[in-house]
Amino acid sequence: MNEYLPFLSGLLKDTLSGIPYILPEIVLVLTFLVVIVADLFLQGKRSSAAFWLSITGIIISVFFSFKQIEAGADVRLLFFENIQLDQVAVSFKFIFAFVVLLFALFIRYDRNLQSHAKGVGDLYMLLPAVLLGLNLMAMSTSLLMIYISIEMVSIGSYLMVGYVSAGNRQTEASMKYALFGSACSAIMLYGISLLYGFTGTINISDPDFIVHLGEIPEPATALAIILTMVGIGFKLSFVPLHFWSPDVYEGAPTPVTAFLSTAPKIAGFAILVRFLFPFYDQQSQTKEVFDFETTFAVVAIITMIVGNFAALWQNNIKRMLAYSSIGHTGFALMAVVSNSDYGVQSLVFYFSIYAIMNMAAFMLAGRIERQTAATEVDDYKGLGSVLKAEMVCFVVILISLTGLPPTAGFLAKLYVFSAAFEKYTSSGSIWMVALLITGALTTVVSLFYYLKIPLNAYLRKSANPYNIENAKDPLIFIIAILTFCVILFGIFPSLISW
Amino acid sequence: MSLLSLLIFIPLVAGLIILLLPSIWQQHYKYLALGAIVVQLLLSAYVYLNFDGSVYSGIDTQSKYQLVERLPWIRLDLGSFGALEIDYFLGIDGLSMPFLVLSSLVMLVALISSWEIKDNLKGFFALFLLLDTAVMGVFCALDFFLFYVFYELMLLPLYFLIGMWGGIRREYAAIKFFLYTLFGSVFMLLVIIGLYFSVTDPQTGNHTFNMLHMMNPDNYVQGSIFSALANQELFGIPARLLAFIVLFIAFAIKVPVVPLHTWLPDAHVEAPTPVSIILAGILLKIGGYGILRICFSIFPDAAIESAWWLGLIGVVSIIYGALNALAQKDLKRLIAYSSVSHMGFVMLGIASVTSEGISGAMMQMISHGFLSSMLFFLVGVIYTRVHDRQIPNFRGLALIMPKYTTFVMIAFFASLGLPGFSAFIAEAFSLIGAFNSESINGLLPRWMAVCGSLGMLLGAAYLLWTLQRMFFGKTRLWGGEDWRQKLTDLNGREIFALTSLSVMALLLGIIPSLAFDKMNASVLELIRLVNLR
Repeated sequence: MNEYLPFLSGLLKDTLSGIPYILPEIVLVLTFLVVIVADLFLQGKRSSAAFWLSITGIIISVFFSFKQIEAGADVRLLFFENIQLDQVAVSFKFIFAFVVLLFALFIRYDRNLQSHAKGVGDLYMLLPAVLLGLNLMAMSTSLLMIYISIEMVSIGSYLMVGYVSAGNRQTEASMKYALFGSACSAIMLYGISLLYGFTGTINISDPDFIVHLGEIPEPATALAIILTMVGIGFKLSFVPLHFWSPDVYEGAPTPVTAFLSTAPKIAGFAILVRFLFPFYDQQSQTKEVFDFETTFAVVAIITMIVGNFAALWQNNIKRMLAYSSIGHTGFALMAVVSNSDYGVQSLVFYFSIYAIMNMAAFMLAGRIERQTAATEVDDYKGLGSVLKAEMVCFVVILISLTGLPPTAGFLAKLYVFSAAFEKYTSSGSIWMVALLITGALTTVVSLFYYLKIPLNAYLRKSANPYNIENAKDPLIFIIAILTFCVILFGIFPSLISW
Repeated sequence: MSLLSLLIFIPLVAGLIILLLPSIWQQHYKYLALGAIVVQLLLSAYVYLNFDGSVYSGIDTQSKYQLVERLPWIRLDLGSFGALEIDYFLGIDGLSMPFLVLSSLVMLVALISSWEIKDNLKGFFALFLLLDTAVMGVFCALDFFLFYVFYELMLLPLYFLIGMWGGIRREYAAIKFFLYTLFGSVFMLLVIIGLYFSVTDPQTGNHTFNMLHMMNPDNYVQGSIFSALANQELFGIPARLLAFIVLFIAFAIKVPVVPLHTWLPDAHVEAPTPVSIILAGILLKIGGYGILRICFSIFPDAAIESAWWLGLIGVVSIIYGALNALAQKDLKRLIAYSSVSHMGFVMLGIASVTSEGISGAMMQMISHGFLSSMLFFLVGVIYTRVHDRQIPNFRGLALIMPKYTTFVMIAFFASLGLPGFSAFIAEAFSLIGAFNSESINGLLPRWMAVCGSLGMLLGAAYLLWTLQRMFFGKTRLWGGEDWRQKLTDLNGREIFALTSLSVMALLLGIIPSLAFDKMNASVLELIRLVNLR
């Protein structure tokens, strides 16, 4: 104990000096505690108190993030280089907060969840906690922090998926998710311990990390890195770690699915970018530790192909969107492979748009399911003339998911394509060409299944008339605003590039 | 707001108004649409009259474009990368101006024929006007990004127009059309990105999507993928040639040329009459326009290299389309295949890279725009009356529908290249260009021109045979007396549309200088540009 005494003041000082920079996260912790207490005592009819408190807390945390942007954009390593605050992290944090806020609204206006015996107070309680985990994912630079933040998000997600385990399908989904998830994190932990053993540091921004890793025989490093990637890959659901996602997405309550296919996935990308950064940074000096470019190029190509082609055969809307989101993972990996500042920037842009489109798509699927009980594509027959506003929004969102102008999805796609192309011109790697061509081809494939929805809604007639439950709730306004944003940002992208 | 922007966005605004109006007034939507398109037509007529063909030769110099509008549109700061520079850049020269007039007139005719549309009028007219906006935008855009946005914007309205108001196999036809076109255009997007990284704006030094800068070899970054000097290769093929091929395929799907034409008969047969008119009258021309404006102007070296193949594709399209037309029993399918054949002349003319050939190709596009609209309109006339268009089911129509038969004869004779009509001038010029090519630049062998003229002969065969089968002889109808009642002769609205189209065809046939004067300087400029390298 005594030998630590001289360092104590330094340690304290470093910890204290970091605190002002994690104000948004502190706010989230406080919100979490307040919401628990509030929901215990002020349950009310729809857990309104919990809802408003979570939302307020999240908005205050966003406000502090804004302050961080204003304060300056330089990179800061905090808490013994466990977390790193920079422009990219703040951008990701905005996306997460945006998604979580939409998620909260979605929960509030989802009647299935609202009418559940458990109430939704506990779900609201989870929001600040999960957002905290997501924020940490975007900022972590040490292996320990990566593991902890991933687990924070995972545990929150397990709870959400199992929240209304009414039927067999839901129970299966939540079990599958929890089992698959914990197996993946166990494997990841093993990989992390190997990495720590090899390098003697858990800090990936430490120069020693790479230097020491370079001294280890290549198969051993490759094993350690691949095992670590399993944990991250679970969050991203790239092939071959995608098996859980269609079942879970189908089984989980729609708002939860919307959330799961958006925020944790984006956070996974944030962590991936962070994890890869030191490898790329020092590649020029030391020998190549691990061939990330080839590995991820192959993974991206396979993911795009599997995701998009599997989606072709889906009849269930949520399953189809699940596979489409796998396809999007593959596409976004293209930006990761290009590993430049430009690539990261394009990734942030891509996911800002993806968050809007994906949330809107699931909101629409959920809303239409509630109004007409339509879960299969075939059930959408003739809906175009019944649910006019919903279907018009759906078409715009789907067009944007395909990546056609003048929607924002097109610009996002263009951005990623050009990042990949830039990489090709600087490196001449044939993998980039393969990625570009696969990206283009799978876009055509994706059009085919996305168009199934308007095809049924507009081109076909329904055999029996619909029994529409006319739901007058603000969800449609939220959807309409999101749809409008998709077009607006498609024409004026400068509005969201910070 | 300048003239071109007005031309582009008036239909869009009208479409939005229609969307906002209550459905009770749906019988009046068409008048609003009509108003917008008449204004558009007047504006484009004004543009035509004020266009000085000899001064505004365009092609690769901004100062030679008329009605230029250039506003910064998207400026994304990319840190170390400079800025993403996308302009809202419009302008017209002799290559694009004729299409503005053509499009607005064809749109008017299509709108007149959409009086037959009875259900879901709000959707129909909104999509129709959106399509109009996209088409006008394509012809005016000089920024490749902007061009692409308009180009893709056409797909969705067309998908719904074919899919919702089409015939029995409309689902199949609509998705086939969409997938075909998208397949071409996604790869075009990759080439656009490649060009973007290869070209810089000489003033600002940023990368740019400006098409005119792409035409100037001095603007290419040294060693970049599409730089002519760098001679980069992809998969063992020179990158510039590959890019040319990709762009060519994207546009050739639109034209369409054999063997990329298979979407066309399906789309035409299933589409409602107004959409068929727009497809044949305007959209096919976008393919030809794109080849001239983009493939030839940006990649002239690759264009010269592949001219022989383009000529061959043209000849094959002419012959194959005509032979297929001969074999058709469905009148609309026959006309669809005749489009393939006629657009083959466009390819042949372009491939010759002579001033006669390219002028002929331009003329053929304009002339075919008028004539094919007329033909599809005529098919629509009998189809709306009896819901049938099988050639063997009709005989001796001349006796019961004399006015209709007159217009059919005008359209058929004009299409088969009777002197005095625009198609004659157009096909003659294309063939002269192809014939002279061997002695002028040695690109196309003479036999291609000879085979092309064989296509004219086949054209006469299938059109005259149809005329004989359907219109002459004693009246015998498959539907008997019921059909005879329904097959009333043309009404005033139809006569107006058909007359305006036949007057245009006749006018261009007698005074071709109406079009040639406006585009000659641009054509010469294009040839100069292509021969520069």
